[in-house]
Amino acid sequence: MRSLSRREILVSGALALAACPFAADAFCSMNGLAGFKKSSEDITGRIFKNDAPKILWKWSREAYSYQQLPGEAVVCGICPHGCTLEKGDRSICRSKVNVNGKLYSLSYGNPCSVNVDPIEKKPLFHFHPKTTSFSIAAAGCNFRCLNCQNWQISQFKPEELKTYDLFPEAVIRKVKEANAASIAYTYSEAITYFEYMMDTARLAKEKGIYNLWISNGYINPEPLLDLCKVIDAANINLKSFSDATYRTLNGGTLDPVLNTFKTMHQQGVHFELTTLVVPGYVDDPKKFSAMCDWILSNIGPDHPMHLLRFFPNYKLDRLPPTPVDTLTAFRKLAMKKGIRYVYVGNVAKRDPLRVCRQRGRP
Amino acid sequence: MKKNIDRRIAAVVIATGVSSVVTQLLVIREFLSQFNGNEFIVALILFNWLFIGALGTFIASFAGSKANPRRLALASIGLAILSPLELIGIRLLRDIFFIYGSSVGFYQTFAFSFLTIFPYSLLLGFVLPYSLIVARNLIPGFSGTRVYIIDNIGDVLGGVLFSFILVFTVTPLQAICIANLMLVAASWWLASPGSRPVSLFKIGAISALMVMAAGVWFEKATLKPPGMELAFYKESKYGRIAIIKDNDQHSLYLDGKPVFSSQNDDLAEETIHYPLAQLNQANHILLFSAEGGAMSEIEKYQPLTVDYIEIDSVVSDALFRFGFVNPIHGLAAIHQDGRAYLARSEKIYDAIVMNLPEPDTFQINRFYTDRFFSLAKNHLFPGGIFSFSIEGFDNYPTDAQMVKISSLYHTARKIFRHVLLLPGQRIFFLCCDHPLNPDIPRLLDEKNIHARYIKGSYYGNLSNEKIRYLNELIQSDVPVNSDYSPHLIRLMFTEWFKKFSTSPGGLMGALALTLLIYLARISRVEFLLFSTGFMIMGSEILVVFVFQICFGYIYQQIGTIVTVFLAGLFPGAILGEAIRKRGRQVLLLTDAALIVLILVLISALLFGGDQLTPGFIVVFGFAVSLACGCQFPVALHLRGGGKKAMIDVFSADLMGAAFGILAVSVILIPYLGIIWSAFCLIGLKITSLMIMQTSHEIAF
Repeated sequence: MRSLSRREILVSGALALAACPFAADAFCSMNGLAGFKKSSEDITGRIFKNDAPKILWKWSREAYSYQQLPGEAVVCGICPHGCTLEKGDRSICRSKVNVNGKLYSLSYGNPCSVNVDPIEKKPLFHFHPKTTSFSIAAAGCNFRCLNCQNWQISQFKPEELKTYDLFPEAVIRKVKEANAASIAYTYSEAITYFEYMMDTARLAKEKGIYNLWISNGYINPEPLLDLCKVIDAANINLKSFSDATYRTLNGGTLDPVLNTFKTMHQQGVHFELTTLVVPGYVDDPKKFSAMCDWILSNIGPDHPMHLLRFFPNYKLDRLPPTPVDTLTAFRKLAMKKGIRYVYVGNVAKRDPLRVCRQRGRP
Repeated sequence: MKKNIDRRIAAVVIATGVSSVVTQLLVIREFLSQFNGNEFIVALILFNWLFIGALGTFIASFAGSKANPRRLALASIGLAILSPLELIGIRLLRDIFFIYGSSVGFYQTFAFSFLTIFPYSLLLGFVLPYSLIVARNLIPGFSGTRVYIIDNIGDVLGGVLFSFILVFTVTPLQAICIANLMLVAASWWLASPGSRPVSLFKIGAISALMVMAAGVWFEKATLKPPGMELAFYKESKYGRIAIIKDNDQHSLYLDGKPVFSSQNDDLAEETIHYPLAQLNQANHILLFSAEGGAMSEIEKYQPLTVDYIEIDSVVSDALFRFGFVNPIHGLAAIHQDGRAYLARSEKIYDAIVMNLPEPDTFQINRFYTDRFFSLAKNHLFPGGIFSFSIEGFDNYPTDAQMVKISSLYHTARKIFRHVLLLPGQRIFFLCCDHPLNPDIPRLLDEKNIHARYIKGSYYGNLSNEKIRYLNELIQSDVPVNSDYSPHLIRLMFTEWFKKFSTSPGGLMGALALTLLIYLARISRVEFLLFSTGFMIMGSEILVVFVFQICFGYIYQQIGTIVTVFLAGLFPGAILGEAIRKRGRQVLLLTDAALIVLILVLISALLFGGDQLTPGFIVVFGFAVSLACGCQFPVALHLRGGGKKAMIDVFSADLMGAAFGILAVSVILIPYLGIIWSAFCLIGLKITSLMIMQTSHEIAF
């Protein structure tokens, strides 16, 4: 075997160097070959190291729930991710940062999306129907759902989007102008702009405006109890009844969401459940049956349930839409088990699937 | 005996050429089915293929006196085993490495293709120069150009075999099997000069046959989605068509993506009624592709004729067979490229309803340009309507989406006096020279047409505020989308990276660094061949795009272009071999010829426009490849013709081709457009010409 010349070593080096970024990227995105299986099964977000803005802006507020650690690190207390942020880090949800040992929310008073929607669009069918809701959302989400309908706002940082200057007092003014009955904290994930939601909701409650929380329910019990004092109704996603599916499709876990349902039920807050029936992941009748059993034994039969049809979206675009038959079969199953109000959504064939049995209205 | 060995080596090189081209085409098709189906993916795969091939060629330089026919036969058998394994691996590993049902980003696709292609391409890059070394060990003075010529013959045969026979008759793994059986036979012949083949070779050959047979046997099983039924599967010349059955719902998959579902009546209502409700009469309708249930909605207008264009007859057959498209009175299915059909047809319509995918590929972008909109308008009666739709947004449009909407609006407004945007499940563009009315339910009521979804949901979903908001999003300073400057492709590229929270910066940086290091170490002659490899791949891409723009996507003719670009290399190499002693003069002359040829292409595009003929493009492709082919033997001669020279010039050609395809597809055309991309190729060749012209060295 002859030895390599200097030129050949240089060429080999160049080729190896060129291959490095690809190999490194593949390795990082798959956590190395040994970890690729784990990586493909869990899409939980990661902390953004040294990503906090150098200077805080006018829409920054010190977070309401966090713990300071020695060495200027902090632990966010809002959601079960419990992001431990070193100085200069940004949370998984992209909207909390550690600046000089304090945790700040970056999206206080700067929603990126503002609309007036029918309350049924949330969907909330059993709470003040036929009213409109002033709907706001700020950037960020603690999940990474592959089928997110609002990825354009949920998967971006507040400073990356075009936003409105709308502090809580201004929101109340806008609600009155729009003659809306409620404010919905919706579209992205309201848990990530908890401080803004809480202050706006308190003010709204004082003015007799209803507060609607539309969420994935991935929140810690303490902030949830605070929230329950100011919200009037909620629609919480129960994305599946499998922890593995939560990790694979959403980047979260099941138990904290189930705890949210239990807490809200105990607190007497009106809420409705929504499940998106994703083919190949959430369409297993056995798991759905187990979900219904859990609902009946833990929160009872009276919370309306919405079964939504999946359409290929965002990154989950290689699956077919949910067959309507699957949705109607699930509806029948849930009602047979004893859940009283079950609706099928995202389906053109409306009647009789979306007619409220109690109130006789769509 | 030596003559005989010569023939046996030639047989292996030809069979390797056949196998490699068939495998390459099938790998590209497989990636288009398993990953994102755009031209960037094709460029990534070809780049990886050529780059790894160059690496394999470099490794062959370490082969010395021990190189012999049996080892060459064994390496060729290795190719025959790796070829089906590569295809099966891409299919099976996808859902192991990535989440089932999800799309995959640019870098992950790059990494995955690099890993899965690596073994085959590395060995392939190794085999060609190795075969020359083996030949030279047995026949000193064996010409390197001859290997190059024989390899080109194999490549052309492989291209012809796949594009004109295999793609119409067999499945991918059957095609791989057929292509590699020749390689196994040629290797067997090479491994047994006067005696029986050695045991190791026999084991290899039997393994190759077993892998091929297993691939064919389990082919359908590798395509079935878990928990669902594969109701229909066929490979057409345009791609993979599958019908997936889940409960009572059928979904049509094109290249791995669900396109139509049998239970999407609401989208069919929007697609059909938004435009047709605007018309007083809809007697003649042209439909580009059909959503499930579309015909039932069209039937409500009682049209006299409905021309339904679906380029792929396999798709339309499947749509009819599984009830997506109902045969209605006056319906005629036309299996042609839509643009080509309109260019040739003289029929005039009341409405042209375009129901095509997003303009995410050059292939589809052709239907969203000012020139195509103008073509459509020429086929409308006065007051006729043209409509199309793109993906919408729920609550927040990204910057790229706003620019995309604005660009399409301005493109449509350039041709039509009135353009109305409706934010339904998708964003619908209604284009007409008469004023348009957004109150669709009222228009339908006036016509006594019942549309359940629109009646029930329109006023809730498409409030005046939403329509106004969408129309107010239009930005004024956005360029129109044109054939030669595909603005939307650039946006799609940006959006794709944004979706996966990545940026092309890392890749570009790594490639630039690699290129700089490579260019710093090569000789002038190698640089010339690098630029020639770059030029031939770059101009081939340009010509394919131009051809599609001018004549539509006509599979056989695209296959002809690719074949012509290969075919010119062979006579070019023979010519080069004959005049190689003129050395540098030939290189300078052929470089100048290439510059002139690209200038001719630019002039034809700028001044010829719609008058371009397929014959011109074929002649152009042949002339370019002839000039490129001519340079190889001359360059080899100038470098002394030894083993190292052979490997260096092969590597330079492959590296140039690798960077050419990536740079032209991913950077030059999206960012500069077709004309300026052609000028860039001229710039590269002028640089090569200057470097050669200013060289006074004896050794290059």
